[in-house]
Amino acid sequence: MEKGKISSLQMAIMLYPTIVATAILGAPSITAKYALNDLWLSPILAALIGYATVYIAYKLHKLYPKQTVIQFSEQIIGRIPGKILGFLYLFFYIPITGEILRGYGDFIADSFMVNTPIIVIMASMVILCALIVRGGIEVLGRAAELFLPVFIFPICILIILLSADLDFKNIFPILGDGIMPPLKGAIIPGGWFSEFFLIIFLLPFLADMKKGMKYGMVTVFAVMMTLVVVNLIVLFVLGSTTSSKVYPLMNVSRYVSFGEFFEHLESAVMAIWVVGAFVKISVFYYAAALSTAQWLNLSDYRPVVWPIGILIVEFSFWSFPSSMEVSRYDIIAFPFHGILMQTIIPLLLLVIAFVRKRNKGTNTR
Amino acid sequence: MRWGTFLGTTVIVALIILYEWPKMKQNPKKDKMAFFSLLLMGLVLSMFNIQQMSGPTAWIVTFFKPFGEFMEK
Repeated sequence: MEKGKISSLQMAIMLYPTIVATAILGAPSITAKYALNDLWLSPILAALIGYATVYIAYKLHKLYPKQTVIQFSEQIIGRIPGKILGFLYLFFYIPITGEILRGYGDFIADSFMVNTPIIVIMASMVILCALIVRGGIEVLGRAAELFLPVFIFPICILIILLSADLDFKNIFPILGDGIMPPLKGAIIPGGWFSEFFLIIFLLPFLADMKKGMKYGMVTVFAVMMTLVVVNLIVLFVLGSTTSSKVYPLMNVSRYVSFGEFFEHLESAVMAIWVVGAFVKISVFYYAAALSTAQWLNLSDYRPVVWPIGILIVEFSFWSFPSSMEVSRYDIIAFPFHGILMQTIIPLLLLVIAFVRKRNKGTNTR
Repeated sequence: MRWGTFLGTTVIVALIILYEWPKMKQNPKKDKMAFFSLLLMGLVLSMFNIQQMSGPTAWIVTFFKPFGEFMEK
């Protein structure tokens, strides 16, 4: 099915933009709605879901190496229930790719290219991602490596240039209303952290499998630190108004005015977002195409890449009449759906697999 | 039904078939079946006004309604 090999460092480099890209843009304001000025604590709590997901995915991978979740779920819970679960995974990854694509299109169309039809923005992104997914996992890994500096550099520059506008008093009172608000706010980034389950589609193609767990954990930590720093920056600049902004990092970047030369840095945010969304959509698209091919027992996933592209574009509009509906979906459905499909069901699979392995061991003795 | 979207999708589907067919000629029959049925699904979906239609995402919102109400409080 897939003959390419990637290194575990490449896997980490693919996952980092995949999680961070959308999480730094929209998540701070949604988190702030619940956690108020404790929004920087929420990613730390949410990262626990990320660590658990990586651990579960790696343990499942150790029990069934060379297989993805679509294949080993058939072995764990039987053929028919496994197929049903595989279908549920398909109907998680294809619509979620569409929803990410819609989020990308809405952001570009609302903030920068006001007169461009959204379908043009989205279709050009899908064509680009389809080409890279069709190229295979090695191409995807190398593209992520190539774009990582373009992704990280603007964030660092933005943080340095903003240092004059920071108001550190905004952080107080810490835990003014107890632990509940940051805990509730952690549900939203928790959905993002559960996306680390994507490593289950990448682990079988690692050249150095033993390091998979280590690099997965390092990535979770890097994502957590990035989110904490971004949330703190947003909080220090915007204070209590954070929750009323749709894209707080955009608003923050407009504050930058350094030596009357560095201004209008929102284009830097756009660069981060376009590069990050490209890697993110590609990784999800790859997972969707690979799981479709494995679910149908095809010999190769490449023939289904383009047809799935059409489905992704259609899912990005399906039941989403406006961008308001998309962001509402992000709050009321995605975190729970994501955690259920990517953390809780894999945990159940792992428990069943362990019990079955142990029973087999006692029977043969 | 919106003819513009449908015609646009038809053109794209035709282009995909033209691009992909020479490469997958020796693939097993199952691959070809999957390829064409997925394209057909895309084509059928493009006939509807999907933005207003209730679909999988709307069902998921309904499914997670108790949690959603907890978040909207």
